[in-house]
Amino acid sequence: MKNLRLKSARAAMDMSQQQLADAVGVSRQTINAIEKGDYNPTIKLCVAICRTLGKTLDELFWDA
Amino acid sequence: MGAEERMGIVAGLTVGLAVGLLVVALLFRKKVLDCTFDERQEQARGVAFKYGFFTLMGSIFLYGASELAVGRWCDALAGGCLCLAAGILVFAVTCILKDAYLSLLERPRRIITLFALLSLSNLGLGALQAAHGKLVEGGILTFRAVNLVVGIMTFVILMVYVVNFLLRDRETEVE
Repeated sequence: MKNLRLKSARAAMDMSQQQLADAVGVSRQTINAIEKGDYNPTIKLCVAICRTLGKTLDELFWDA
Repeated sequence: MGAEERMGIVAGLTVGLAVGLLVVALLFRKKVLDCTFDERQEQARGVAFKYGFFTLMGSIFLYGASELAVGRWCDALAGGCLCLAAGILVFAVTCILKDAYLSLLERPRRIITLFALLSLSNLGLGALQAAHGKLVEGGILTFRAVNLVVGIMTFVILMVYVVNFLLRDRETEVE
């Protein structure tokens, strides 16, 4: 399932996939895979992404 | 082939291997080569390694079985290199298809250049050996075919990488 919340949070901060990837220390393809729902990130990476984008885990990754 | 020539070949191979290892170690030390992968890449490379390992096992079995079935058709070094090439090829192609071939600090242009140089030099040496008629002696593929095998392997990896790079790498940022 696509993670549109991550994609829109990244776009809201005017960040490219590459910029977000550099900020959290992964490859651009990994950010792309997370946004497309092809890869399920570890909690460590989720936290790093949330910190970079100024969001909570619930806001970006929790499916209610 | 005399005993002296055989010893010379073994000595040459050993020195070549040692120099190769030294160069790779130096490249790692100078941070030209880097093996830092992220969590998704590590996972994908683990799967690729598994595929490569089973391919290596399968090809060693096939090599052994083919010798039993049809007799000796290549010398041990050429046979070993063929099996290794099959395993490495499967590992590399799987990594490329899963976007896990390059580490975080490596850049595509550098890798493409490196593989192009490796491929061209090995194919050139292989063609030279073929022109001198040394690839096959007495109906047996000799160790001199190793350059050709490595050249073909690096060329296939290069082609898969370039095609994958052109087809898939650009689509991601657009989405």
